[in-house]
Order: sequence, then C-alpha cells, then structure tokens
Amino acid sequence: MSKIEKALSRARDGRSNLQVVPIAGASTAPPAGTAVVANSAAHPETIPRMAKSEVRLLGSGDLAQRGLIQPQDSEDPAVQVFRELRTRIVQQSHGQNAVILVTSVTEGCGGSFIAQNLAAAFAFDMGKTALLIDCNLKRPSVHRLLVNASVPGLADYFENPDLDIKKIIHPVGIARYRLITAGARREILEEHFTSEKMKHLMDTLRRRYQERFIIMDGPPMSKIADIRILSDLADYVLVVARYGRSTNSQIANCLNAIKDKKLLGMVFNEEPRIPRIR
Amino acid sequence: MQLLPEQVAKALVTESFHSRRLVVGIFVLVNAAVLAAGLLWPRGYTASTSILVDERTIIQPLMQGAAVATDALDRSKNAREVIFGRKIMDLVLEYGGWLKGKPSEERERLIEEIKKRTAISTVGKNILRIEYHDVDPERAFRVTEKFAELFIQESIAAKAAESAAAFAFIEKQTQDYQDKLARTEGELKELRSAALDVRAGSESEVTTRLNDLNKRIDATMQELREAEVKEASLERQISGEAESTADIFREGQYRVRIGELQSKLDTLRLSYRDTHPDVVQVKQQIQDLTDGLNAQRVRPEKTKRDEAVVNNPIYQQLRREQAQNQGTIDALTARIAELQRQLQGEIGRGKRMHSGDARLAELTRDYQINRDIYQDLLRRRENARVSMNLDRDRQGLTFRIQEPVTLPQSPAGPRFWHFVAGGMLLGILIPLGLLYARLQFDPRIRISSAIAATHKLPMVTVVPHLWSPAELRGLRWELVALTLVVVATVAASAALSAMRFIKVL
Repeated sequence: MSKIEKALSRARDGRSNLQVVPIAGASTAPPAGTAVVANSAAHPETIPRMAKSEVRLLGSGDLAQRGLIQPQDSEDPAVQVFRELRTRIVQQSHGQNAVILVTSVTEGCGGSFIAQNLAAAFAFDMGKTALLIDCNLKRPSVHRLLVNASVPGLADYFENPDLDIKKIIHPVGIARYRLITAGARREILEEHFTSEKMKHLMDTLRRRYQERFIIMDGPPMSKIADIRILSDLADYVLVVARYGRSTNSQIANCLNAIKDKKLLGMVFNEEPRIPRIR
Repeated sequence: MQLLPEQVAKALVTESFHSRRLVVGIFVLVNAAVLAAGLLWPRGYTASTSILVDERTIIQPLMQGAAVATDALDRSKNAREVIFGRKIMDLVLEYGGWLKGKPSEERERLIEEIKKRTAISTVGKNILRIEYHDVDPERAFRVTEKFAELFIQESIAAKAAESAAAFAFIEKQTQDYQDKLARTEGELKELRSAALDVRAGSESEVTTRLNDLNKRIDATMQELREAEVKEASLERQISGEAESTADIFREGQYRVRIGELQSKLDTLRLSYRDTHPDVVQVKQQIQDLTDGLNAQRVRPEKTKRDEAVVNNPIYQQLRREQAQNQGTIDALTARIAELQRQLQGEIGRGKRMHSGDARLAELTRDYQINRDIYQDLLRRRENARVSMNLDRDRQGLTFRIQEPVTLPQSPAGPRFWHFVAGGMLLGILIPLGLLYARLQFDPRIRISSAIAATHKLPMVTVVPHLWSPAELRGLRWELVALTLVVVATVAASAALSAMRFIKVL
C-alpha cells in the first residue's frame, strides 16, 4: 500500500467519525475549556462550542482498536444494544442528565468496556455529551483510550488543590466524548471519594453541561466499600455480569451488598455472537 | 432453572461457536478413534441353518392311553447337549482342520472357542436354528453344515434306539400279558371241569326246586296240622260220647222218679193240705231226688266206661276214625322229614354253586381284561415295529433341513461403514453432549434469562461480543482452518471406506 493510499484510507476513516460531529457553532461562544458552571445554563449552544476543543477525531480503525462501537455500524447488534441502553437511561432520567455508575460482578466482567461504550453511545447522540470517569483506581483502564495516557487525572486532582477541573478533562477523539483518567498517581486511597472535593467535582461536572451524562467506571463489586460510596454519588447503578464467568452466587452476593433503589439492572456482557463474515 | 428446548438449542449453537476449536478437536479425535476401532474390528462370517423337528416322540403316540410319557425337555437345550457333546465336537474339530499341527492339549480350548461361536436357538415351536461364526466364510459354511448333519445323524440314531427300546418294552409287555391270559384260561377250565353242576343257569333250577320243596313242606305241614286237629277232635268226641251216655242214663232215672212223685204230689194236693204228712213226705222225696240229680251233674270223676259205652256204635265209629287219622299223621310226619332233608340238600348245593360262581366271575373278569390289554398291546407292538423299521430305514420324517446352509457372502456384525457413520454421529453428538452437560452443571451463567429469573432482577440488556475487524480477520482464517480439518477428517473416513470396499485394507 502506497503512502497516498494510506493517507486516503485514513481520511476516509476520519470522515466516518466526523459525520456525526456537528459543525462548529457561532464564533461568539467562549472556548469550551473556559466554560464555568455559573454561565453554562445561559449558553444553550454549549455543544457546538465544545467542538472547538475536539482533538483530531478517531477513524473507525482506531475505534475498533480501542474496543469502541462505531456509529456507522448501525446494523451491528452491539451498537444497537448500547443505543437501547442509552435510550433506556434517558427515559429513566426523564431527559435530565444523569450520573451512571458501571460496576462488575467480579474482576474481568468487562465493566470498563460497557462504561466506555455507553459513553460513546451517549456521545453519538448529537444532543448529548458524555464524560467518562475512571473510578477504578486500582486497575484503571480508561486511559488506554487516549493516545497520550500520562495526562492528569482524578488522582492528580485530589492531590493537587490548584489543579483546575478542565485540566483533567480530556477529549478522546470522538465528538462530545470526554474522559477523566484515574490519574498518574494511582496509589491514592479510595477515601478521596468521600471527600468534599469529590462531591464538588461531581456537582461541577454535572452542572457544567445540562446534556452531559457522566459515566463512572467503578471497581468490581468485591470492593464493596468503594461501590457504596460511588453509588451515593451516582443516580443509577449498572451491574455487569459476564457470559461463562459470573455465577449465580456471585450475583446474589452483589445484590445483597447493593440493595439500592438506584440499581438500574444487570448487563450481561460478552454473549457469544456469530458474526457475519463477508 | 428449567430451560426451554429453544433456549437449550440456541445456547448449544452459541456454545458450539464459542468453543469451536474444542468441538472440532473432539470431532476429529472421536472419528479417528472410531475409524481405528473399525479397522481393528475382526471380520467374521456367520452361517446358519434351520432344522424342522417333528414335535412328537415315538413313545408318546405308541403309549397313548396306556402310559404317560414324560414331558419333553427344552428342545434347544437338548440340541445343545447333543451338538456340544464330545462326540460331535471331536468330529467337527477334525473336519474343520483345527487339529492340524496343534497339540492335543489345545483341543479343550478350541472346543470352548467353537462353542462360544455357535448359537443354538429355537424358532417357534419346531424349528431349531444353528448359527456358527468364523473368520473364514468357507469354514463357517462347512462347519455349520457339518453341525446340522451330525446333529440329525445323532438324533436319528438316538431316535432309532428309542423306538427299538419302545418296541422291546412293548414286546415284553405283550409276552407278559400272553402268559397271564394263558394262566387264567387254564384256571377257568379247571374250575369248570371240577364243578359240572356249577354252571351258568343252574342257579335258577336250584331256586325252583327250593321253592317247590318249601311249598310241599308247607302243604304237608298243613295237612299234618289238620290231622292233628282231627285227632284231638276225635279224642274229645270219644270221651264225650262215653260220659254223656252214662249221664243221660242216670239223670233219666232221677227225672222219671221225680215226675212220678210230682204226679203223686199233685194228686195229694187235691185232697190234702201241704202240711199233710203224705204231702210233706212226697215233697221230701222229690227234694231228695232233685238233690241227687244235682249231685249227679257236678260229680267230677270220670265215669267208668262200662259196657254200655263200649257197645255204643258211635263210639266205635269214632274209634275207627281215630285209628285211621293216627295213620295219616304218621305218614305226614315221615313225609315232612324227607322233604326237610331234600331241602337241606338243595340249600347246600346252592351255596356251593354261589362260591363257584364268584370264582368263575373273577376268573372270567381277569380273562377278559387280560385279553383286552393283550389285544391292544398286540396292535401297539405292530405300530412300534413299524416305527422301529421306519427309524431303522430312516424313513421317518422327524428331522428335515428347513433352510440349508449358504456360504456367507458378507461379514456379520458391524461393517466398516457403520463405524464411519457412527464416528461422524458420535463426533457431533459427543461435543454437543459435553456442551449440554456444561450448560446444565457449570454454575457459570451462559443463559441471560437465567439471571433475571433467579434473582428477580431486570435484565437491562445483553451485550453481544463486539467483533473488531482484526478479530474478524482472525476468525475468518480460523474458520477456514477448522473447516479444512473437518473436511480432511470426512475425506479420510471416505477414503478408508473406499479402500476397505475395494479390499485394499
């Protein structure tokens, strides 16, 4: 494959993601990075404004490599499933933005995969934005979506009082999709989740964009204390079980621990599917 | 949780895809194992024959009604005893060529092997089936034929021996009864010549004569009784005649005298009163005479016969009659004695005749029974002789080959293509079975609806595996490889079948 062909291919991939990205809004709007909670409600065109801060958007190859759904594959059952899940959450929150905690029954059930793709599904909706927060401080994985993983994240925010919130929010390369990594310093204690700073962060994030849906990628249910703290911060909790891995007793233990009205339900992940091979 | 059939089917399909390498691996292994088994499976040929056996034994119809035959034993058991007997097995060993170059110690082992390969069964009631299995079709054919032949031979010989024994038995019985009959006849003859009067019909004669004698005795007795009555009567008359003659004579004198005195008294009473001495005197005389008359009447003692009585003609006539009557009585008494003697004689004869009759009846009965049995035995003996001759000449249709042995063309037991087909089937069923078992017994959840049903929890969504293009490319190659493996397995099976068919293997 010649260099020209590679360039063409990349351009084609890039367009597929760009299609859903709206054209940048009015030039009068301040840059997205400077947006503050106080004036966010007064600027309904926040999403067009957000587009200004987008990095180069990812092509379909990049999305696939990161294990993310692709909006153009609307026939793909996986894409349909995440769209349905998004619709359901929107219906549940009556159109208001919401904080969703995604946790796994055990380690390796694919909770991060669900969280990342749920965020992508929200981002694919042109009327909504998504913010993914990596709350699994022991085994973070969200940073892999970024090209440069060593960016300030949640841990840095807790440790450094001067660090502005906007410094930890990073665009992924998907329109209206932002994320906060676990941060460079991962040895922080989970007690930070109960801190006022965390509450302040959540309030700020929630209020910054009314159409923003915040997805917290939580640790597995075995970290029951963390889950209880994080579920207090969230509006809804999704529990992820995995095909051929989770047992009924594990699920029963989780449910006994959570017993929360916030529990939206169970997501059964990784069900084998015979793909159509062309 | 109870799974619905469609849930199980769907789960099996997805599981098979999920564990595709394992499934294909097991398919290949199972096919290889079964094909190897098919190649190593010893080929064998089975030859069979059926023999129609007559149901009845020879003794049974012969002894019908006269004796009860024992129950026939299980026919196949009998046949097994005959065929697996040392005699036939030795012949078969020799005939089948097993003994060539083999030490005699192996004989027992060989016999046991042949027994194991031989099946004897009964089809229906009368058909005996012999099956023999061998690696060599030719030998299977020949040995089965030999088995049938030897069995028939042996059975016919046994049958001939049986019928000969039956004949000998009946012959002996016939002889016994003949002797018995002759003895009875002799006794009968003796009895008849010993008592000539004792013969049929003489009983009625005796009875008639007894009756006659009894009648005559009765009549004579009657006559005797009459004569005795007459005797008594005459005796009474004779004594009565004498008394009355004397009495009448004395009373007459008294009555004449009383009459005279009465006349005199009447005459006196005409002139005198009753107190007159003459009247009184006369009265006294009359009274005396009356007393005398009365005394005469009551006098007990017999009046002595006197001449007047003896000379009475009536008396004399009576005496004559009495003498005659006495003679009659004597004659009758003598006759009765004679008749009584005759009667006793007849009774004795009758008794003798009865005992003779009983003996005669006994002997006659024995004679008749013996004669009947003897005649029956004679008939049976002739039947037995015919049966014996039939068996000796092998004319009896008691054994017939119903279905002759044919040279087996195709091997018995499972054929190679059975193994091929079985391998394919098992190669599919075993992995599916294992997957099903995993589905049922593995606690790890593979069916999403099970979670919702078990935990009463809303199942928000089921996320299928998200195939990345790289994964899809890998999958494509993997599927091609797996398909090739399956095709190669099937092709190998087919090739082996073809080689087996053209007898290369």
